[in-house]
Amino acid sequence: MKLKALIPVTMVVAAMFALATSVSAQTIKIGLNIPLTGDIPKVGEGSKFAAEMWLSDVNGAGGLEAGKKKHKVELVIEDNESKAESAVKAATKLITEDEVLVIVGPQSSKQAVPAGGVSQDRATPMISPWSTNPNTTKDRPYVFRAPFLDPFQGPVLANFITNEFKFTKAAVLYDQASDYPKGLAEFFKGAWEKLHGKGSVVAYESFTTKDTDFSSQLTNIRNSGAQVLFTPQYYNEVALIVQQSRQLGLKSPIVGSDSWGSAETVELCGKDCHGAFFSSHYAAAGATGATKAFIDRYNKTHGYVPDDVAALTWDSLRIVATAINATGGLTGDIKKDRANVAKAMAGIKKFAGITGNMTFTPEGDPIKCAVIVRISDKGQFEFYKSVCP
Amino acid sequence: MALFLQNLVNALQWGSFYALIALGYSMVYSILMLFNFAHGDIFMVGAYIGVGVAFVLIAMASQGALALPPWAILILTILFAMILTSFVGMLVERIGYRPLRAAPRASAAITGLMIGIILETGNLALLGARRIRFPSLIDTTVYEVGGVFITNTKIIIVVVALLLATAMHLFVRKTKWGLAMRAMAFDYVAVPLMGVSVNAIAALTFALGSALAAAAGILYALAYPVLDPYMGILFGWKAFVAAILGGRGSVMGATLAGFLLGFIEIFAAMIFPSSLRDLIAYSIVLLILIVRPHGFFGEPYSARLRL
Amino acid sequence: MELRGTIRGFSRVPLLGWLVAAFVAVLLEIAVGTPLALSLGLPKIPVLFGVILALKKPLLFPGAAVYVLLIYALPIALIARLGAGLANRAAGRLLAFPLLVSVAVHLGVFYITLELWSGLSDYRDLVLRFTLIAVMVTLSLNVINGYMGEFSCSHPGFMAVGAYVASVLTIDLFTNHRVFGSALLPAALGPLTFPLILIIGGLVSAMSALVVAIPSFRTRGDYLAIISLAFMFIVKSLIENLDIVGGARGLGGQPDWAGLPTVFLWTVVCVWVINNFVRSTLGKALNAVRDNEMAATAMTVDTRYTKMVGFLFAAFWAGVAGGLFAHVLRYVNPGTFGIQKLAEVLAMVYFGGLNSVYGSIVGAVGISLLGEALRPLEIFKWIIIPLLLILVMIYRPTGLVAFKEFDPEAILKPKTDPERERDALPQG
Repeated sequence: MKLKALIPVTMVVAAMFALATSVSAQTIKIGLNIPLTGDIPKVGEGSKFAAEMWLSDVNGAGGLEAGKKKHKVELVIEDNESKAESAVKAATKLITEDEVLVIVGPQSSKQAVPAGGVSQDRATPMISPWSTNPNTTKDRPYVFRAPFLDPFQGPVLANFITNEFKFTKAAVLYDQASDYPKGLAEFFKGAWEKLHGKGSVVAYESFTTKDTDFSSQLTNIRNSGAQVLFTPQYYNEVALIVQQSRQLGLKSPIVGSDSWGSAETVELCGKDCHGAFFSSHYAAAGATGATKAFIDRYNKTHGYVPDDVAALTWDSLRIVATAINATGGLTGDIKKDRANVAKAMAGIKKFAGITGNMTFTPEGDPIKCAVIVRISDKGQFEFYKSVCP
Repeated sequence: MALFLQNLVNALQWGSFYALIALGYSMVYSILMLFNFAHGDIFMVGAYIGVGVAFVLIAMASQGALALPPWAILILTILFAMILTSFVGMLVERIGYRPLRAAPRASAAITGLMIGIILETGNLALLGARRIRFPSLIDTTVYEVGGVFITNTKIIIVVVALLLATAMHLFVRKTKWGLAMRAMAFDYVAVPLMGVSVNAIAALTFALGSALAAAAGILYALAYPVLDPYMGILFGWKAFVAAILGGRGSVMGATLAGFLLGFIEIFAAMIFPSSLRDLIAYSIVLLILIVRPHGFFGEPYSARLRL
Repeated sequence: MELRGTIRGFSRVPLLGWLVAAFVAVLLEIAVGTPLALSLGLPKIPVLFGVILALKKPLLFPGAAVYVLLIYALPIALIARLGAGLANRAAGRLLAFPLLVSVAVHLGVFYITLELWSGLSDYRDLVLRFTLIAVMVTLSLNVINGYMGEFSCSHPGFMAVGAYVASVLTIDLFTNHRVFGSALLPAALGPLTFPLILIIGGLVSAMSALVVAIPSFRTRGDYLAIISLAFMFIVKSLIENLDIVGGARGLGGQPDWAGLPTVFLWTVVCVWVINNFVRSTLGKALNAVRDNEMAATAMTVDTRYTKMVGFLFAAFWAGVAGGLFAHVLRYVNPGTFGIQKLAEVLAMVYFGGLNSVYGSIVGAVGISLLGEALRPLEIFKWIIIPLLLILVMIYRPTGLVAFKEFDPEAILKPKTDPERERDALPQG
């Protein structure tokens, strides 16, 4: 009696097993370790959308080519909650449980540095699309990154301002609790003082992540007699900094870094940002070719222009694809494949990404040309000058 | 001197937000003796509701359905958002605090914290991670007076904040409802026996506190028009500091402490290297509490507090 | 009728029985786990009892359920039930020796089980280590918030102090570092001095707690809450400004010394010491201060001394936990010890239960595992966990297992049938 009742149940269960097993054959798994919740959900969302776009492209074309075979790709997305320990857990889970071939992410340095250690220890290639901290890739042959490093951008901007405006006194405003702005501020200060002597950075002001009022710092900057304000912040802070500086009567030009390169900079900031300059490797509004195609597609699907982090994630995934293809075929042994992919990734010397043409250093860091972009009086990003290292 | 005056103006604006949020915090805290850790997130919800209301009103005005000047739209936005957010506040009270009326206060604080997280994450899930720009309802004009730069938004913010604080003070001091609230703060056990409904007073307190948070949210969005779901967290915790610094049971105390916290933060960044701002500002808060362990207007600790 | 009998049968199983049963289940998983999982259509051994798998791919749910049933539920139930008599006798024998022997045997079995279980997957191992550290932090916060009845927000600050002191010491003494120069001591000494370093971290953290403890003489409750909150902001800002330890960039490269044995041992010591502390006269004094400070003074409790000891003691353990945390993560940055961490620790304490060692263990383990298991839900994880906590607060306002004494002897003793026990009571 009881046994009879069990029969249909067993059949359903068996059918489900059959379905489940048939799905996972011969796929390449790529892990995505991104902050969907926590401090910077926007970063996670952009990365996720870009990765999903890439995935539909690849699978639409029949899969990712490795050697002569095509493999379907599966993305394993992990939320790292913007916390260091969660990123480490997510990386470990992706490596040991999901057995991914490559990890893309984490994005911010506070997570990429410890998660990079996990990847290095477990011999799994990882590429961080966004982390600029030197320690992320330092002495880690399995860890790579897509954004360019600060030591280059600082001097480029210092030279640009000196040559363009003939200024000698600069002010810097940066977020001291965030890796990227802090590093860039330091490099800029170093470069500027090399050009104009000690004390030529007349105001070196900072604030803490999530601050929205900069009036005190900007008043100090105004009173310091600086001729130009350099602020390597993200676009949401840029909007506030520029607006507030205008309201406080600071009329000097404002120069930013590649983190300004989002269409939302102008959208959030309005006409106060017109006439400002920033360096970029990716200028959303002035984009052409593949970059423009990516931006238009993203905008069409999700209703807003992607940030640099989305474009960098896209490029990172394409670097991964190039490396997988360059291995000349997968062996099926995940350990061997991981080592091969890492070797192939280190072997990429040149790469044409939508965030610019890159060449890689032995440390795994890219070198790209920078463009100086001006925000026109109509709020458009205009190509102004190109600077290569 | 201009530097000092300029920072005085800056601090007045910055303190206005702390004051308004601390005021709402202090209402709940003084009358119901609860830490409302969801308050910062109600502030966020208020700002978002404000965006919605403003968009609707602007759309109506542009279609000619509503012929109103921009300042009237601003006032209407603030009023509507205050009303709508007060319902959110009452809902939070109903779900998170009323069932815990008999529980230790700290447990209610934890539900508040959790409701806050739900509000943040809910917003994130609903609207996505995109930051929202508050529509510019009034054009900012900059005035220069002897080297001090003032904008019309700064004036509006400070004036509205002071008006609301005064109105709240008068409400608590002069009306019958205010009397009931003060009585509740004075004796939690006996007052219900006098025929005052605890639930009504609690709902009213939350509604008023949330309305103030919504007003603060919109004023904030006028000055800092970039909104995101997590904007209220840090504000909530800092207003918590201000509310308690003011002393329990003092509407004016919370307002003053809010302004004081704004002044401390702005002037710490002016006098010392700005990277040390938090360090200096919170050391000062710590010192104040060591010298005056019960805040500015608070009464000494009594065993009556139910912890 | 039949069911009630079965349940009563299980109530006779002593802790030793459950531990041994779990041990056998893990052995079973090692022996046949992988082939069983594959034959059930699972990609590999379900790592956290199949929850992650089932949430991610609902199709795999029956497979995961069958796996958990076959590997864990059935064998554990069977062995625990059938071996109850044997286990009771063994547990009784063990109690004839000093309590320490019995505790050591139980912990030994428990540790071996955990070691084997986590040996199957690095992810399990990592989750387990973070969970054990969470137990330490939660327990130490419970001393202040539960036993002493304050609302302290400074725990992330204490953790940060311990984490940074321990990290600077290990990095400075045992590794070649850019800022701190080459290693001062041979690496072989490292694991031996590591406990000492953790203790130093804890002591420095305890010293820093004076900033909160001294004002607590004159005020308490709400005012103390913001003093402790200000302390947390100050510590974070201070570290961000200390460029020698990396500032906001953080400090990485800690040696890999906090393996499972180390973390487990420290957690056991922490639970043991804190449990003894709260059951001591001083611990009772903490409760007295919480319930009525004036009455406590009248009963000759030295309230200042009590508060001071309570704060320093809790901060010490938070510091030790911070040191371990830094060495498991092998990286620290000030941003980790902010409001997010505070909300997490507070949630663990109040979820588990105030004034209870049991509660802290339940809270820390519960929230940690839930946080991992619900990973596939992404954003909705942070709606479900808070909702769950609100429900717990509404139905059990002091937490799941509050105000329950943690008595090792009562836990370890053999369990006899409650009815027979009553008969066996001496008459009169």
